[in-house]
Amino acid sequence: MKAVLRLAALSAWSRRLTLGLTLVAIALAVSLLLAVERIRIDARQSFAQSVSGVDLVVGARTGGVQLMLYAIFHAGAASNNIGWDSYRAIATHPAVEWALPLTLGDSHRGFAVLGTSAEYFARFRHGNGEALRFREGKAFGGVFEAVLGSEVARRLGYRDGDSITLNHGLTELGPEHGDKPFLITGILAPTGTPVDRTVHVSLESISALHLDWMAGAPLPGVGIPAQFVAKFDLRPKEITAALVGLKQRSDVFRMQRFINQYRGEPLLAVLPGVALDELWQSVALVERSLLAISALVVVIGLAGLAATLLAGLNERRRELAILRALGAGPGHIFVMLTAEGVLVTTAGALLGLVVLTLGSGLAAPWLLERFGVVLNTRWPGAEELALIVAVIATGLLASLVPGWRAWRMSLADGLTPRN
Amino acid sequence: MGALRITDLVFHWPRQAMACLDIPRLELTAGERIFLHGPSGSGKSTLLGLLGGVALPQQGSIELLGSDITRLGGRARDRFRADHIGFLFQQFNLLPWLSALDNVLLPCTFSSRRRERAGPDPRADAVRMLRHLDLDEDSWRKPAAELSVGQQQRVAAARALIGRPEILIADEPTSALDAERQQVFIDLLLQESAAVGATLVFVSHDRRLAGHFDRVVALDEINRVAHEAAAP
Repeated sequence: MKAVLRLAALSAWSRRLTLGLTLVAIALAVSLLLAVERIRIDARQSFAQSVSGVDLVVGARTGGVQLMLYAIFHAGAASNNIGWDSYRAIATHPAVEWALPLTLGDSHRGFAVLGTSAEYFARFRHGNGEALRFREGKAFGGVFEAVLGSEVARRLGYRDGDSITLNHGLTELGPEHGDKPFLITGILAPTGTPVDRTVHVSLESISALHLDWMAGAPLPGVGIPAQFVAKFDLRPKEITAALVGLKQRSDVFRMQRFINQYRGEPLLAVLPGVALDELWQSVALVERSLLAISALVVVIGLAGLAATLLAGLNERRRELAILRALGAGPGHIFVMLTAEGVLVTTAGALLGLVVLTLGSGLAAPWLLERFGVVLNTRWPGAEELALIVAVIATGLLASLVPGWRAWRMSLADGLTPRN
Repeated sequence: MGALRITDLVFHWPRQAMACLDIPRLELTAGERIFLHGPSGSGKSTLLGLLGGVALPQQGSIELLGSDITRLGGRARDRFRADHIGFLFQQFNLLPWLSALDNVLLPCTFSSRRRERAGPDPRADAVRMLRHLDLDEDSWRKPAAELSVGQQQRVAAARALIGRPEILIADEPTSALDAERQQVFIDLLLQESAAVGATLVFVSHDRRLAGHFDRVVALDEINRVAHEAAAP
């Protein structure tokens, strides 16, 4: 049997051009499949790591998923705000170590503007507990100063020291706060989280922008020039959400209950891990469809392999007849053909893995910079190995077809192929 | 002991009413070298397939070296062929992607008996035979596809002879050679089969090659189907 497999390998090598093309097709299909799987896992992970070290996310009473969407991903609008008093009550609770206020509602050219405290840059954690880093400049100090996420700066070409104006509302169509430009004091390093797509300003800046506004529109006839805003009380009256860190994690359910039952107004506190999981479930369908499509591409590649082997069979009738004359049984012929298919599939799958590993190593920095997707270069995990095994098993199934055909052919032809 | 004995053999192809072969009797003694001739389509290749055990007759028996191969199972017939029969075809005899030397050694990979009979080192035996058949050393390691037709036929002869099979079956092995080389090759084959003591069945449509054989048999004379077909 070993001799038969050696002959199969030598025979395949003699047809390396056609088989090579099939092998490349399989390799590309496999690397696509593995890439989708890897991006899927990494996206899930970077999604799950978009916030870290936060024990509770607090907002007005709404759905947990919706709260996460606007508080963490800055997508969609909050249905309601929470009062500054409520925020203070939470922030000063003895179990709470820190509480970061978040105010949303303005934007700059499609990017969300987040009003928060300067403490945000020190406290916010993402990934495996990594802190925010400044690529340029420093945190905002006073009113009308802004810190940009890396993607905002890259896409819009802003540098430290440039000046921008904000729009009211979440789209560029909102009225402009044109009279109160912001100075960019710092730009953050890429994180692969929504932070990259956010413009950070102080809560006081948000208040200052809206001094002469009411109900989402400028008050007619009232215009307060930027240089005079400091004369006003800029302490925020309400915020959109808050991120809370506790002194002891074990207090989390007690604190959640305290917030959910807060008497001043209806509030909601969610555990970010639980809510992110819930949120991920809602995109799981897309994720699975992607995997199904790439699995289909692999199946097409393997069907191509079976077709190539079948097409080559006619030219190899003489070869098979010679082997028969030398004592090879129809079983040997079957094994030879099937082994060839499995060999090509296996080589293709391994090549696909190599292509993916090299490709992802080269593309990882670019993917993070461009799309904020964190792609880890690593050894294939259990899921990927299972996929590779599944591909090879499917390759075996596909190769059974030419194997069976050759078996039939060698029985019918005997020693003298009719061609 | 008889090397080959065919008794009351009837064979017809599937889905064909008319028999292709109907041979009441054919007997060869060990070491005998016969020239079997017949026109194209007379069933020569079919007979060789039956002798090789890749096809089974509907009736009758084929005894080779004392065992009736029609009573053996498929695997056993494949094994018998590998162990006891050396085959030589008209052309495209070799696996083009194997070297000449590896082609010669092929029977030893399918049959441990042939390997043992090729001596302690089959490779050395293959080299000896290639040298004996006048193949220059440069060509041994070349892929068979790069050899000339004459060289290929000599490699094929070496392959058929390695491990000293008791029966040698040659199916038009000279048809690709020019007239001068045909006789040289046939003489070589007769000489080599005598050297290993093999019974040789040489099949051809060309009667002019029959000169040096022990016996000349016309397939039409032993095959009753041909008689009936020929009768008006």
